[in-house]
Amino acid sequence: MTRSIIRYPAALPYMAHYIHFTDPNSPEMHRFLEGIPTTPGTCFFIDINKSTDLKYLGGLPDWGRKLNNTFNFISLLNDFPDNIVKGIGDEIMLYIPDGELRRKHTFTTYYQLLEEIYSTVDNIRNFPVPEMFLPCKVSIHYCTEVYNITFFKGANDYYGRDIDLTARLMTKAVENRIVLSERFYARVQNDLADLNLPERYGCVGKISGKFMEQFRGVPEITEYRILDA
Amino acid sequence: MEVTDQKKERCSVIHIKGRLDTTNYTVLEKKLMELIDRGENRLLVNLSGMDYVSSSGLRILLMALKRITVSNGKFALCSLQENIKEIFEISGFTNIFEIYDTEETAVKSF
Repeated sequence: MTRSIIRYPAALPYMAHYIHFTDPNSPEMHRFLEGIPTTPGTCFFIDINKSTDLKYLGGLPDWGRKLNNTFNFISLLNDFPDNIVKGIGDEIMLYIPDGELRRKHTFTTYYQLLEEIYSTVDNIRNFPVPEMFLPCKVSIHYCTEVYNITFFKGANDYYGRDIDLTARLMTKAVENRIVLSERFYARVQNDLADLNLPERYGCVGKISGKFMEQFRGVPEITEYRILDA
Repeated sequence: MEVTDQKKERCSVIHIKGRLDTTNYTVLEKKLMELIDRGENRLLVNLSGMDYVSSSGLRILLMALKRITVSNGKFALCSLQENIKEIFEISGFTNIFEIYDTEETAVKSF
């Protein structure tokens, strides 16, 4: 089977600002950087559990198959392929700029995005055939301090302190758990209000109360919640 | 999305028309759970009119399958459109559901 089977409209041309100046003190670089706008949106990391252990227990045909199945399950079913910024081993970083969220095929609100991610984690957890997929953990944050920039020609990337915070949130995640920042949760609540749905509608009803944490390298205390599949 | 159900001699048949996603999965969830709670454990879902399903839609079908399996019943699907078949294949769902090409064949299997 090919990977072209699910056809979505072409991705929007979100192209990173390419930063490359040979003069370290270039005044042009300073002006260029000052002019780069922020790209608000939703950042999430999805980490596939147990894959490192598998690599020591079996060969590529086993762990490669499970990673293939799990990545397909996560990205193709959820209209995420165009939003994968990068993958490092068994963790992927995704970013959906606000402008793109509203043009998505599968979801157009933060609430719907959360519902899809929750369903994905829950489907993997409850899948009745063993050895097909690997369990996941997820962190999600609504970002404002993010820049769509790259230092490598032709690459697309996002940098900023909110990306760092999303990565920090992952330290609170365990298998089958979604950790969401309070800022993302507030967006979800706004969507539910706009849709005239109850505050605890759908998977939102399973979200925990608020936790607080001082994450390493983050000056402010971060508020977050957890959602277990 | 429209969900309708029809009682047949061998099973109940549910027809889904339109997209099944986060905006409406609760409609199908309510219908399936109502039937299961009523003791119906032979359910066939006809997907000929369903042109899209997201992860949240798949989750409801999986939930129904698990509940009916526990009660020793049968939960089957039929008449999937090509694009839906592809989604079921990639998600591994073809391995866990009984899927029939037509409603007639599916009903006979109950």
